Formats: sequence, C-alpha cells, structure tokens
Amino acid sequence: MTRLTLKGLAKRYAGAGQAALHGLDLTVASGSLTALLGPSGSGKTTTMKLIAGLIAPDAGDIRLDDRSIRDLPPERRGVAMVFQNPLLFPHLTVAGNVGFGLRMRGLAPDRIAASVAAMLARVRLSDLADRRPAQLSGGQAQRVALARALVLRPEVLLLDEPLSSLDATLRDEMRGLIRDLQRETGITTLVVTHDQAEAVALADRIALLLDGRLVQHDRPEAFYRRPASEAVARFFGGVNFLPGKARGGRFDCALGALDLAPGLPEGPGLLTIRPEAIRLGPGPNPLPARVQAVTFLGTQTRVDLGVEGFALQALVAPEAGLPLSPGQEVTVSLPPSALWLLPRPEGAA
Amino acid sequence: MTDRTRIALLLAPALLLLGGLFLSGLGLTLLRSFRYFPALGLTEPDLGAYAAILTSPGFLRSLGLSLWIASASTVLAAILALVAALLLRQSFPGRALISFLVQLNLTIPHVVGAIGILYLLSQSGAFARLAHAAGLIAGPADFPVLVNDPFAIGIILLYVWKEVPFIALILLANLQTLGEDHESVARSLGATRWQAFRHVLLPMLAPGLAAASALVFAFAFGAYEVPLILGQHAPKALPVLAWQAWTDTDLATRPEAMAMSIVIAAIGLALLALVARAVRQGGE
Repeated sequence: MTRLTLKGLAKRYAGAGQAALHGLDLTVASGSLTALLGPSGSGKTTTMKLIAGLIAPDAGDIRLDDRSIRDLPPERRGVAMVFQNPLLFPHLTVAGNVGFGLRMRGLAPDRIAASVAAMLARVRLSDLADRRPAQLSGGQAQRVALARALVLRPEVLLLDEPLSSLDATLRDEMRGLIRDLQRETGITTLVVTHDQAEAVALADRIALLLDGRLVQHDRPEAFYRRPASEAVARFFGGVNFLPGKARGGRFDCALGALDLAPGLPEGPGLLTIRPEAIRLGPGPNPLPARVQAVTFLGTQTRVDLGVEGFALQALVAPEAGLPLSPGQEVTVSLPPSALWLLPRPEGAA
Repeated sequence: MTDRTRIALLLAPALLLLGGLFLSGLGLTLLRSFRYFPALGLTEPDLGAYAAILTSPGFLRSLGLSLWIASASTVLAAILALVAALLLRQSFPGRALISFLVQLNLTIPHVVGAIGILYLLSQSGAFARLAHAAGLIAGPADFPVLVNDPFAIGIILLYVWKEVPFIALILLANLQTLGEDHESVARSLGATRWQAFRHVLLPMLAPGLAAASALVFAFAFGAYEVPLILGQHAPKALPVLAWQAWTDTDLATRPEAMAMSIVIAAIGLALLALVARAVRQGGE
C-alpha cells in the first residue's frame, strides 16, 4: 500500500496563456479510493498524465511514499493508468491485451497465462479471452482495460473518467466492479471525474479541483454539509445563499435572525442551506413563504419559494410537494444543524 | 431511385473505364498468350508460349532480376519511409518545409528521375567528375559502376527515392488517425519507448505499411521505363524483355511477350491478394 503525494505540481502547456495546473498539493491516502473531481478544463487529466509520467511538470514533485518518481520514465513508476476510452490494442486478443504489461516485464508465458486467466475470471470475461477488441461491447472493452491495468498490481492506479463512455446500466455495474476490486486489492486509486454524483457514489475521499486549484479535499458528505466556499457549494448543487452576519449563535440577514448550530464562526459570512434540508411546515427557524413554482422531478419535487422577497429553493419528497400550487402561503423551517456559514465572496461588503 | 441503383449509376463511369479498357485489354492479352491470334493464323489455343518462356534461361534470369529489383526497392523504401514518417510525426522547427520537400518528388516522373540518376551516377556523370576534380579517382573507370550495373543499384536507388515519400505519406496519415494514446497506454502499462513502438505502434501500422509496400512492389516489378534507361543490356528486367519480344520483327514472338505480361500481372495480383488477406486476418 502506497501513499501518493503531489507537492506544488504545476504545468503550463506551450502556447497556452493560462496554466493548466497552479501548484497542486494533494495527498492520496494509502489504500484509498480518491476522486479527483472538477469541471472540464480544471486540470484533472493533466494531473493524471503528470502522475503517469506521460508529460513532465514545470515545477513540483510527485512522491510514492517517500520516493520521488518525478524524473522516472512512465514504465518505471509503478503507476498504471486507464484512459477515458478503453484504447485496447486492436491486434491483440482480450487475453493478449490483459497480459501485455506482464509480457513487457518479461515474465514467463505460463505465469502470464495464469495471472491473465485469474484476472479475466475476476472481471467475468473468461469466455471472451480469445476475442479481438473489435468484437467487444463498450462495457466489455472498459472491463478489459481495467483488468489490463490491475493485473500488474500497480502501486497506484489512475482511472480517467472510467464510466463516461458507458450508458447508465453499465455505469452502475462498472462502478460496483471498480469499488469491489479496489477494496479487494487495496491499491491506492485516483479516479478522475467531472460528475459530482459519480464521485460521491464511488470514492472514499473527494479532491475538488476548480481552475487548476485544489479547493477542498474531504469525505463526500462534507461537500454537502461543510462546503469550503460558495463555488464548492454551487458545484455540488447548492442554490441557497444568504449574506449576513453571525453573532452570538444567531445569523442576521434579510430573513431576520436565524438560530445557528453551535461552533460556527462569528462575523460576516454567507449562510447556505441545502435545498433538500429545507422543511415545509413549522419547525425551528420558521419563516412565512409564498410558493412560486412546483416542479416534479421524479424522485423529488422542487419547490421555488419567495421568503421576504428572497428566493429559496427546496427539494422535498414528491408527495410532500405535489399538493402545493403557486401563490399558496406556507411556512418553511430551516433546521439549525443544516445551516452552514461560508466566507463572504471576495469584493462583497 | 433506390440507393442501390444510385450507387450503380454513380459507379458506372469508373466501372466502364475499368472493364472496357483494363479488363478487355487483359482478356485480349490472355488470349494472345494462349497463342490464339487469328491474324497470324493461330486459331488453336495452347500453352506453347508459356512452355517456351518458362524453359528459356534468359526469361528466368530476367524474372530473377525483376524480383530482386522489386524486393530490394520495396524493403529499403519501406524501412526509410517508416523512419521518415516517425520523424515527421514529431513537431520541430522546419517540419513543414521538410514535409514539403519529402512530398515534392512525388510529382517528378520516373523517366525524368531515371535520366537524373544517369547524369549524376554514371561513370562519366556529375559525381564521377567531382570525384576526379577532387583527385579521388584517376578516370571514369575508377568510379564505381552504379548504373547499368549487374546489381541494378541505379534502378533500386531511383525506386527508393521515388517511393519513400509515397509510403511515408500513407504512414503519416495512419499515424495521424491513430494518435499517440495507444502508445501512452503501453507506456503506463510498463512498456519502454522501444517496446511501445515494437509491440503496439508497429503492429497497428503494419496493415497500411503492407498495403503500400505491396503497391510499390507491384509497380517496381512491372514498370518498364526505369530498367530500360538504367538497366544492363543482359539480363534485362522482365518488362523490358516483354516489350522487346512484343516489338520484335518476328511476329511469332508476340504470344511469348503476352505470356510474360501475364506472368508479371499474375505475380503482382497474387501479392496484393496475399497482403489483403493478411490484413483482413490481422484485423479480426
């Protein structure tokens, strides 16, 4: 089991005005499954390629435990990468693809065959060992690509958007497979994704990258309950933000003075509450509200509310929202445990 | 109009040309090679012409020479083209200019190139004069025999010079389509730079390389003008021998000329079929 540490990792591509990555510091705990999350263009794939050694950093270091791999060629890093597309070698069979890395290491053919057979059985592809990549479905090809990297028992496994080329059903299956294999092998794994729901469902830890900077590295639930900034909260679907000032356990804002949970900082700030934490009906921090719109979303219903001229959005159980109609007066409550204070955005008074 | 009829109509001009000119010409050649030539009073087809050429030492020597020319030219051109394509794939200052220069000689006719080689490399040619002026050789006889020579060096040089850009262009197009991702995968799976080339890139380029090389081989094997200008008097390359037999004042040698042409065509076609089959199997 290996800890992966990135220190001040920076990269600017030739001809590009903006750096792809500005001094990234990140520690991926040994044996963890960490998601590197961010919108496209935030430097995720660049980070992966730097770790894999496919491109060279302008500055910074990459360490496995205490050993720097920054100047090693890709094949000597102990890092295996699975790309967004399966990129199977078309001239080799499925077994040939899975055995490729072992063959490059010069292992004896019978040992390669045994490892490949075991790996194929683990990803349930034993029947397809002699197929060519062109004869596989997208999900099968992605499983071969995963098996091809895992069979090497790398110290660190990098997965670049491994689910994005699959349709919804296959995605669930593949996500389960990645989780199971990672737990069984304990290989330190970093998976890149732009989809926050996917990161939450897959990873033990999430590192959120915005504009080439690490903005929060935490357990998945923290991004909902304790986001580090308004940008983080918005990335995770936060929509309710109230400027004001915290003092003596209360928050003064346009909606009045709201009770806060103990332990939050004092002073000016931005109050946020998850849309799914807002309750319809009386409770703590009750507020009179007018229903503006009701939108059925399948598993939830979205209720747009006006409170004291301020827009709030609530997500409630479908049956709780459906009897409502626009214009109706209701009482909503904001449980103090769901209220979280963010630093005031820069430039705000 | 159904799609099928539209496709047939669109293809018709090309098919007419191919069928009308090429196939009927080939058919006529085939008939003549079987000694069916009513104008000469030959009305009973037989294999006499084939028997005559296949037992003639001159024909077999010419066949050997042509196979040597085609094989050597193809192997050298393929290797150099592969190296050129791999270099030109990378970006470096002046790449566009070098790319242009590499493609430029595609436009020069073979005959012109052959005459150029003659001027440059013959024992009284430009290089020999330079060598003499520099005091390296005492006279024309000291300069190595590079044209009209027994090993067909001049011919092979010309084909290599002409066909390297042709193969390289096909490989460059292939390389552009493939991208570098497969090599990156190979590297991250523990392949060294050389292993990634040898075990991933080269096999992926092989179909295009084989197809282009087969075309070069068939051309070098069947083309007439270059060995006529740069070849020895004897043995002659097969196409030259066939042309000579066809233009012989003795009309009775015409069936033999046709039989030789058929042998040339058959060897070229067999090679292309073999390559096509290998490529198909490799892709499955």
